[in-house]
Amino acid sequence: MEKKENRHWFLLQHEPLDVGAAFAFLQTPRAGGIDLFVGTTRQWTGDKETTRLEYDCYEAMALKEMERLAGEACERWPVERVFIAHRLGVVPPAEASVVVGVATPHRADAFEACRFLIDTLKQQIPIWKREVYADGETEWVEGPAPPRI
Amino acid sequence: MSTVQVLLFSVLRQRIGEGSLVLDLETPATGADLLDHLEAQYPIVGEYRPVLRLAVNQEYVPETVTLADGDEVALITPVSGG
Repeated sequence: MEKKENRHWFLLQHEPLDVGAAFAFLQTPRAGGIDLFVGTTRQWTGDKETTRLEYDCYEAMALKEMERLAGEACERWPVERVFIAHRLGVVPPAEASVVVGVATPHRADAFEACRFLIDTLKQQIPIWKREVYADGETEWVEGPAPPRI
Repeated sequence: MSTVQVLLFSVLRQRIGEGSLVLDLETPATGADLLDHLEAQYPIVGEYRPVLRLAVNQEYVPETVTLADGDEVALITPVSGG
């Protein structure tokens, strides 16, 4: 699924994420700083070896939540462009599962807005990861208990 | 009666063995009524209830929400994207 407008681009896809395409989209003469965060599959957590992550997603809602969070970022910082993409299904070690990018006139706002988007995405967007370990065990990862509504 | 579709993901989908359920509820029904109903049938829903969020038609809502015929309700366990 995808929603692309002049200044916002939100993506959910099973194929590998294209960081170059994200950077190209974020480039604008109105910005002086672009911040890109890329989350990748970590092979080792302590002494547990992950062979892959598998992502489940409520796609229609995830896309709407991405748009809502981007709207909030645009109210708080002078954001010129926003890019948010999440990969679904199987993501092998070292490959990207999430890409968040922000372009703003000055770098401090880009860092802050990007940090806000990835941190809030992890609490709000209806996406779940399952760890598949080298010993054959699997485990659905649960984030911290969410705020009550 | 209201008929609602309940969407399940992640651990609930796995434990209940279905990605979606169709439920008939006496009207008026709230989100809490729906969860009571599900909890009676699927104990796993009760286990997760303290940390569960509800979404109706793709928006987070409190359990006090009144459900309407045809609503799409999702049970959102703590998310772990990224």
